[in-house]
Amino acid sequence: MAKDKPPELKVETFADHHVITQPNPLRKVMRLVDEKNFEDPVARAEKALAGLSDEFATWMAIECDRLAAAHATILKDGFTPAARDELFRAAHDIKGDAATFGYPLAGAAAESLCRIIEHAPDIDRVPAALIAHHINAIQAIVREHAGLGFEAVAKELHRKLRGVADEYLTVVNRDRPEHLDAILAPSIVPVD
Amino acid sequence: MYGIDFNKLRFLVCDDNAHMRRILRTLLHSFGAREVYEAEDGATALEMYSHYVPDIVITDWAMPIFDGIELAQMIRQPDSKGNPFAPIIMLTGHSEKRRVTVARDAGVTEFLAKPISAKGLYQRILNVVVSPRPFIKTKNYFGPDRRRNTNNAYIGPERRGTKEPDVIPQPSLLDKARSPG
Repeated sequence: MAKDKPPELKVETFADHHVITQPNPLRKVMRLVDEKNFEDPVARAEKALAGLSDEFATWMAIECDRLAAAHATILKDGFTPAARDELFRAAHDIKGDAATFGYPLAGAAAESLCRIIEHAPDIDRVPAALIAHHINAIQAIVREHAGLGFEAVAKELHRKLRGVADEYLTVVNRDRPEHLDAILAPSIVPVD
Repeated sequence: MYGIDFNKLRFLVCDDNAHMRRILRTLLHSFGAREVYEAEDGATALEMYSHYVPDIVITDWAMPIFDGIELAQMIRQPDSKGNPFAPIIMLTGHSEKRRVTVARDAGVTEFLAKPISAKGLYQRILNVVVSPRPFIKTKNYFGPDRRRNTNNAYIGPERRGTKEPDVIPQPSLLDKARSPG
């Protein structure tokens, strides 16, 4: 597909911009299908994803180890730019992956940590305990995941952490309205 | 209804997280794709983009060396030797309005927030294959039309009148690659 000759472009020119249209270069991969005989690719993919699920607990443990290692570096050397970036990326990956791996509350706690790193005006002045509690909570949620009744505990843990983090961010950003807007705004991306 | 022959599509996946790359590869293969190339950072992805000329790019945002936004900006160079029109799907844990706007302004075609789902990914791929948007070139933007809908309540000046379009031939990628400079 990618080697096909590119089609002609149509260009409409206006005062301050051009509108460029090309015949759909991917039209050759489209086909009309009969709904009755359509084998749903989404169902097939979900089944394939379920086939990977035996590995999710190990993957989640690896992500938690990475987060803990990033935190240990900060405790030892302070918030160097590289250490800050690694802590953020480790938390951000958990935020994005944890729900897929079956640990949505770990993802929610990681999101709270990401918000602190992203919106604190001076990361060196963030109370060390606030960061440590987030990391401990993420690890505990993953470790005790299968424990009887732990989901209710994890929800409460996340609710409290998020409340403290948001209160902190609201206070330290009181003179930075653009950050306050971002902190208080809900996500606009629709949930599929 | 429309279906897609995934086995005719070439994908480039860029994510620094090996677990997420494995999930993406699994999903794309189970949709029917055969050609899925993987990069773990933006710089490698850009090299692979030039080399493999993928039909669709799926990229993370936060990555070392240079990130998914910079990758999109490098691909969307209208005068580059490569193909600046390839659909770019940004798959990211960022989901704030501000982030979506930054991605849109970098020339990203579709935005998909993590956690990933098979349905969400399939829908974004279907969108870019079945309903490609025209490209807009301004002094400081080159990328898919950022207007997705017609707003009948819009009362500002209309910058796009009606006129016959000019038609210009697009040089093949091979010709572009052979040309000096």
